[in-house]
Amino acid sequence: MSAMEFAKEIDLRNLPCPMPVVKISKGIKEVAVGQVVKAVTTDPGALTDFPAWAKTSGHQILETEEAGGEVSFFIKRLK
Amino acid sequence: MATLTYIVLVPMTYLAVGVFAAGTLWRLAGLLRRPRLGLPLAVYPTQKPGWAYALADALLLPTVLRHNPVLWVALALFHLGLLALVLGHLELVADIPPLQAVPHAIFLGKGAVGLAMLLCLLYFFSRRLVSPTKDLSVPEDYLLLALFFLTVLFGSQMDWARNWYDYSTMSVNDYRAYLWSLVTLRPSIASVDGTGHTFMLVAHVLCADLLLMAFPFTKLMHAIFTFALNRIRRG
Amino acid sequence: MEASVRDELLRLFGSKLTREMVLNLETCSRCGLCTPACHAYASLSQPRYAPAYRAEVVRRVYKRHFTAQGRLLPALGEAKPLTDAALEELREAAYSCTGCRRCMVCCPFGVDTQQILSIAKLLLVGAQAEPEILAMLADVSIAKGENIDALKAGFLEGVKRLEAKVVERWRVQAGATPIPTEVEGADMLYVALAGAHSIIPAAAVFNAAGENWSLSFFEAVNFGAFVGDPAKTRRILDRIVHEARRLGVKEVCICECGTAVRVAKQLSGGQPFRVVSLTEVHARYLREGRIRVKKLPGSFTYHDPCQIARNGGVYDEPRLILGSIVEDFREMSPDPRYNWCCGGGGGLVAMGEETLDFRMRSSRVKADQMRESGADVVVTACENCHTQLDNINTHYGLGKDVKFLSSLLAEALTDR
Ligand code: SF4
Ligand code: SF4
Repeated sequence: MSAMEFAKEIDLRNLPCPMPVVKISKGIKEVAVGQVVKAVTTDPGALTDFPAWAKTSGHQILETEEAGGEVSFFIKRLK
Repeated sequence: MATLTYIVLVPMTYLAVGVFAAGTLWRLAGLLRRPRLGLPLAVYPTQKPGWAYALADALLLPTVLRHNPVLWVALALFHLGLLALVLGHLELVADIPPLQAVPHAIFLGKGAVGLAMLLCLLYFFSRRLVSPTKDLSVPEDYLLLALFFLTVLFGSQMDWARNWYDYSTMSVNDYRAYLWSLVTLRPSIASVDGTGHTFMLVAHVLCADLLLMAFPFTKLMHAIFTFALNRIRRG
Repeated sequence: MEASVRDELLRLFGSKLTREMVLNLETCSRCGLCTPACHAYASLSQPRYAPAYRAEVVRRVYKRHFTAQGRLLPALGEAKPLTDAALEELREAAYSCTGCRRCMVCCPFGVDTQQILSIAKLLLVGAQAEPEILAMLADVSIAKGENIDALKAGFLEGVKRLEAKVVERWRVQAGATPIPTEVEGADMLYVALAGAHSIIPAAAVFNAAGENWSLSFFEAVNFGAFVGDPAKTRRILDRIVHEARRLGVKEVCICECGTAVRVAKQLSGGQPFRVVSLTEVHARYLREGRIRVKKLPGSFTYHDPCQIARNGGVYDEPRLILGSIVEDFREMSPDPRYNWCCGGGGGLVAMGEETLDFRMRSSRVKADQMRESGADVVVTACENCHTQLDNINTHYGLGKDVKFLSSLLAEALTDR
């Protein structure tokens, strides 16, 4: 278990293309600026997609954590 | 009245032919000046040779036959009728021996062609009165149908008069004298003026002139473009 | 709309007026034959979804600004100047068209509504009025291409985790490197999607066939093409082209994504490699006897993705594959050339929930076609189609299974 605090968890496991990116970009708007979203994914592509998305949309990935074939991103809404 | 007759039958007809020819060439030149996209835009499966299938698509309208057989029959009748009438007019200008390989009276069908075309035009018109074709239609569509209808109606009147009720105030030779005078640039309307059919003729020529002039600037250009576009679809 | 904005948009419009485009714009006789050919009209009976109606929305602006008739007698063709209201109409017309080109099959001339609507999309991009989601997705793809060196490590880690799954299920075929990456001199570069489902079964089949392949860092899908932005489309595709050239592969194999296949085949032109779809590669393995398969139980039908079949010519290959791995195959009626679009193309599926209601209402005819096939499993070879067919299946309560052709083939692999 991570010690990271988050305001909302989004389940992005086993989604078809391009739903992980679509859902994370919607999901981040559901928390206040400065809050953190935890996104859980199983897609290898997400490991490159999410950082690229964070860069273009101006949010910050605080931490990436792997457990049992799943990867969790902790993303801070910056704007 | 005599002046009006002259204006329609001579200067306006020259103008119409000029606008038709120059306009069509200008449009084609404009098209050819454009760059090509050059990407494969075919609809598959394609068949070889593509040009032969494209030609068949353009001339036989197989897609229409498959999806709307009634419309196909009407389109076939209309376009074949148009072809027969155009040939009839050419024969009206001068004897064209190859066309007379099978001897026939000038204008095939003894008036039936015109009648069939009018019925087709009424059908096309009625299609445009109901949704969803109505929602696609613009004034141009109705205007062209009306012009075609009037052209064929007035023209056929003269044809029907000769064939059906023996009213031959003007003979083939009278028309030919007029048309030949136009072709040889020594215009004379003497042979067709002041007869019982002069009004019909003027009305017919007026509408036909308008159609000729509309050709390059309306969807009538599909008559030419269909070959190119079908070629693209066939790959 | 400000004059300068309009001028800029009209310049964009003008840039689309190739010979092919002018033919598309000038030839339509508004006969209406294409009307029932569009699944959206066939399902909803609303004139605004008739292909020629959508095209007219673009055509009206074209007439007003680019033709003699529209300048002199605008009323004749209902020509309209480019205004904000016109832009709104263009948006509605363009993003409710999936680009399936079924209308083209019925048109006597072959008027290409998708091409015409690509003008609408370009104007919307120019006016920054394109769907935000699609633009965002395209930007993410481009950012990924620009930062790939920094992102590689994460990707490779993800791939390592997937390898375990490949080995677990296809032990015999997996070999030493179940999912190779960065293989210089590989015969084939495989371009997948982000999801594991587009990598694992494909890897199993490649390995079974003894293919000398390498997995691309990039996803195949081209969101630039969905938005209709030619510059972004190019940049997204170029990431793959560069990778393929760097590795020196002979073939680039595009995963089950219709748009990706069409864009890559159409736009890569003049490269030292060939572009093929995964389906074509799989059919080749079977034809050459490179993989061994068993027959799977159940009844199956196949949905031809428009961009792969009607717009790409791949009809026989999926049938060859299915013929080898299932006993009971049932064609959808009337025949593949007239297959209904799933209703999810052109970026509609990528817009997700936003378009779900329209996607479901406009695919009533597709649902009927699936139901009437009588098959238990609907197979397809496109990510978009798969998502949409799955949604249709749920929405209309069809009770079928929707599967990827590649997964089915991987399932049918056998060592004997
Ligand atoms: S079928 Fe072709 S010509 Fe007829 S309305 Fe449709 S696009 Fe126009
Ligand atoms: S391309 Fe497909 S969705 Fe678009 S108008 Fe034609 S039939 Fe309809």
